[in-house]
Amino acid sequence: MELAEFERDNAGSCRLGSPVPELCRAGPCCLGIDEAGRGPVLGPMVYGVCYCPLAKQEELGALKMADSKTLTEAEREQLFGTLDGARDFVGWALHILSPNLISTSMQQRAKYNLNALSHDTAIGLIQHVLDAGVQVAEVFVDTVGPAEKYQEKLKRHFPELEVTVRPKADSLFPIVSAASICAKVARDRAVKNWTFPEDLGDVRMEYGSGYPNDPKTKEWLAQCLDPVFGYPQFVRFSWSTAQTILESKAVPVRWDDSEDDPAQKGTRSVLSFFARKESSKRQPHRFFHERKLETVTGL
Amino acid sequence: MSESSSPIRLDLSSLREAPQDVLHLLPCEVDHNGSAPVDRYFTPAIRQGSQEKSVSFRGRSLKGQEVIVPQGYVGLVLKEDQRPCTEEEERTVRLKSTFGTLTVWNLERAPSADDGLLLALSWPGIAEAIHAPVSRKEQ
Amino acid sequence: MRRPRRAAPRARGSRTMLGSGRRRPADSHPDQWVLVAPEPVTDLPMKPDGGPLFTRLRNPSTGEAALYLFNSSAQQLFEVKAFHEEYRSWFIGQTVQHDGRLLFATPVDPLFLVLFYLIKAEKEKGKFQPLDQVVVDSEFSSCTMLLQCARVMDSLHHVIEEKEIGNKKFYKYSQEKTLMWLKKKVNQTVKVLKSSNVCVGGRVQSATFISGKQITDIKEDDYVRYAHGLISEYIPEHLSAELSKYLQLPELTSPEADPPLKKRKFSDAPVEAEEDYTKFNSSDLKNKKTTSKMSAAQKALAKVDKTGMKTMSAFFSAKTKARK
Repeated sequence: MELAEFERDNAGSCRLGSPVPELCRAGPCCLGIDEAGRGPVLGPMVYGVCYCPLAKQEELGALKMADSKTLTEAEREQLFGTLDGARDFVGWALHILSPNLISTSMQQRAKYNLNALSHDTAIGLIQHVLDAGVQVAEVFVDTVGPAEKYQEKLKRHFPELEVTVRPKADSLFPIVSAASICAKVARDRAVKNWTFPEDLGDVRMEYGSGYPNDPKTKEWLAQCLDPVFGYPQFVRFSWSTAQTILESKAVPVRWDDSEDDPAQKGTRSVLSFFARKESSKRQPHRFFHERKLETVTGL
Repeated sequence: MSESSSPIRLDLSSLREAPQDVLHLLPCEVDHNGSAPVDRYFTPAIRQGSQEKSVSFRGRSLKGQEVIVPQGYVGLVLKEDQRPCTEEEERTVRLKSTFGTLTVWNLERAPSADDGLLLALSWPGIAEAIHAPVSRKEQ
Repeated sequence: MRRPRRAAPRARGSRTMLGSGRRRPADSHPDQWVLVAPEPVTDLPMKPDGGPLFTRLRNPSTGEAALYLFNSSAQQLFEVKAFHEEYRSWFIGQTVQHDGRLLFATPVDPLFLVLFYLIKAEKEKGKFQPLDQVVVDSEFSSCTMLLQCARVMDSLHHVIEEKEIGNKKFYKYSQEKTLMWLKKKVNQTVKVLKSSNVCVGGRVQSATFISGKQITDIKEDDYVRYAHGLISEYIPEHLSAELSKYLQLPELTSPEADPPLKKRKFSDAPVEAEEDYTKFNSSDLKNKKTTSKMSAAQKALAKVDKTGMKTMSAFFSAKTKARK
């Protein structure tokens, strides 16, 4: 697994994958989807798919894939090695969404929520695998949200595929377990080798698991807060954990789409102090209005 | 009168030593005046695309464009170190730094020629013409 | 925490640390400004304690205070305008500045500011006076600096009649000459509007569109009206109305308003080019008549005013009414 492409610009997103095994182009395949790193306030979220011919499901079972969450990091690395060894019939693909992409999407002017982002990423990955020539027939998806709606959505996109969306699919279907291992290994490696574009000075890089309830993560978040910038792009600003700290400890920042802000009225009246008095009957020519140019009355 | 009406002297004595500053005009109101580690958090995260610059601030996506101050003009950052207590005392502002370009950032959408600031940069050229002495020949 | 959501913003009062007790830090008195100014503004002064001077003068269009800048030698005058958009702040080097305005210092013809006082004197006294008795203002004492501008003395003849008694010069405002001068100002403004692709026809077109291809249905009149609107930013309201007549601009419902948004108003009889202005001559005569008539009325009003406490602006609005 080579994450160099993602690491070149860890503010965006990146899709990568194994070579497609010839067997997967030849006969009907099953495909599992899982995600890693949905909950943490730090680091990327990774979507993983794994696929193999339906005829090879028994051999896949023999690889003893299990839900990545029940495994230690070392066990996951080992199992990923096993999958890599089965490259003649197992293929995988990943989509890494950087924390910056998650923050900016969720906080977009037209909000893009995490579920929609997840679903679109999964759909993109399935399409990517189909485009690579894999004869996908059955799709198994792990979900945290309402399974039925998600399943309908996927079926609308891929009417020719048999889609099963199921909570805990990662422990039920070996192909989903395999996908979860790929995703989790990528997430672990990306977090571990995170290159900060920012210069954080003396801040120690012990940020723990990234889960909001991890004391190490909490301490790190408290330590690396900058009153103006908040956090480096490694942090998901859209998480309520981060927002709560920012609201209480960072300098207030207001955008033109900020929700109602009682302080706003005060600001305007202070700033209009410099502007032409409203009582003035003559309005400036539209040339100035269009250019947002105002008369200044003093420094 | 609400504001001091005595003139304010612009102290140019630091002109030669005045550093060049890098300026970014943000699409948000930051409720703070003072130091900010721009070169540690912001500058290294700027990506230069084929059309525009991009970066994020507080987890929001910004698109930017570098603009040059109009020809024949200079960018000056002026600073008043101490405002006198009374309105009668003469005030002085000093030249803190200069700039020749600035980067204007918008929220999620790249600045276009219709944006206020880019339009505003045409004002000096128009003003020069309006306020040039009328030539005797012109009728 | 599997499904995070955006936290609702907290009431500002509950803010801790940096939040509390430091609302609106320094904006009641900003101490730093970002300014774009003509290069000559940075010409070093002759005296070490000299330097350019920011000063408040009367905006000749509104009569209200506005900020101006004299260069070190006090020979050039600039007006200060601010690009001011909501939700803007600056990063300047390694600092943040809440006030996101960008100030522009641009040249201004000092004669406009002197003209304001000449018109005022004409209304109050209506006779020839020495200039230093005309350009005085207790509220804006810096206005006397205007008379030190060589450019003012060189261009004064455009707007006054002059008498020399002994070796002293006396001046009197001439609306007739002023309108001729303003027309030249309008013409040079029309030229720059055309060359700089300013969207004069209405706000429907975007600048990007305009710059690509010149809109063909923009008439000369639209340029003249727009230029008149810009010049009107530097002259009192009644003079703006006089200039509009002088330029034979078709009447608009409100005197200084340009065509409202999207509804572009084109004149049905377009004036082709500057050369055509000769045909305005007949109406000039009419204007002159009105002018002399009005100056009688002005005198009458001025007499009344001397006794009263009327402010300048009240005086001007009274004038405009009288005119209609």
